Amino acid sequence: MNLVERKVMVVPCSGIGKTYGTVSREAAYEVTEDQRPQSTQLVALSLLVLGDEDARAAVRAHPAVTIDGCKLACAAKMVQESGGRVAQGIAVLDVYRRNRQLKPLGIAELNEGGLQLAHAVAGEITAVVDDVISREEAPHA
Amino acid sequence: MPELPQRKVGLVACSGEELAEGTVTRLAALRVLEQLRPSDTVTICLPLFLAGGQGDRAFARFYPTIAVDGCDKRCAARATEQYSGKPAASVVVSDLVREHGLAQPEGARRLNASGRQAVEVTAERVAGLVDELLGGQWNRRSGSFVEPGPAASSDDPTPAACACASAIPIQKVDVDGRTVALAALPLIFEQFDAAGKAPGAEVTQELLATVKIYNDVPAGTDEEYLVALGREYAAFCGQKQARP
Repeated sequence: MNLVERKVMVVPCSGIGKTYGTVSREAAYEVTEDQRPQSTQLVALSLLVLGDEDARAAVRAHPAVTIDGCKLACAAKMVQESGGRVAQGIAVLDVYRRNRQLKPLGIAELNEGGLQLAHAVAGEITAVVDDVISREEAPHA
Repeated sequence: MPELPQRKVGLVACSGEELAEGTVTRLAALRVLEQLRPSDTVTICLPLFLAGGQGDRAFARFYPTIAVDGCDKRCAARATEQYSGKPAASVVVSDLVREHGLAQPEGARRLNASGRQAVEVTAERVAGLVDELLGGQWNRRSGSFVEPGPAASSDDPTPAACACASAIPIQKVDVDGRTVALAALPLIFEQFDAAGKAPGAEVTQELLATVKIYNDVPAGTDEEYLVALGREYAAFCGQKQARP
């Protein structure tokens, strides 16, 4: 198994109408750019909506972590509709409920609470990514 | 009294996460929604055309819509046309960058100076298109203007609106044996009832005229729709009266 095969796809909803959508986007960037750039890949949700073959192939070939800002769970639904497997669906609202002190505000630009909430979301994603990668790297019996 | 959504222009941004231009679309749309034309615009998340309900998919028929895309894949424009309705206008950031001689935007997460310039240029272009669209009479069936008109003023500011939290309500109606989903019908019934309009032939004609604003009623089917609307409205009013 090569490095490419061990990638985990990260798919944020990037919802434009609510601050939680921006949190999902920021968390995805934090994971794919800062925390786990080697083992993750960002997938644009708009490409999945359009049915872009490269994007669909990516989520079909690799486990995905989806990050959704509302209960409609667009990211998780689109990965599933594209034939992909959601290794873990992260709901920003659930993370917020566990971190009530991190109140996010702003859509175009997050406040400090929003950035910290994104950091908390990123931490949960990273744990999932590490778990998925370690299981894939483990020798099979 | 319940109100039908006032005349607004819909904005659908691709918000592509992989490219700086995708971030430009998102921030430009938000600038229009929140600052430049807050009372005249509404938005919806692109994936809701698939992940949402019928009310979400009616978006581009309900509102003349501007698709804002980052690159020539044009995900927002193509997906909007495929799943909702043909956009009234389309903007592609990479085209605007070339047109204005801007340097390549960079930094999907944090835009560089050129990216921020692109946000301004794109937002201004979209705001201009909003004014143009509001100035004309939009025909939802043809996806084109009926006739030009004066530009609407924006001296009645309202907060930026996201349509995903208030999807356009749909009601399924039997029209001569066919099940037809009519956008906004529950709101229309509420509005008529609140205005004290009792079921009857004249009111049914008025209902049909209002339904046609938000829905495609095929030519030659007015009589069938009148029967259906008269029946449904009578049932609606009957249920209202039966409530304690």
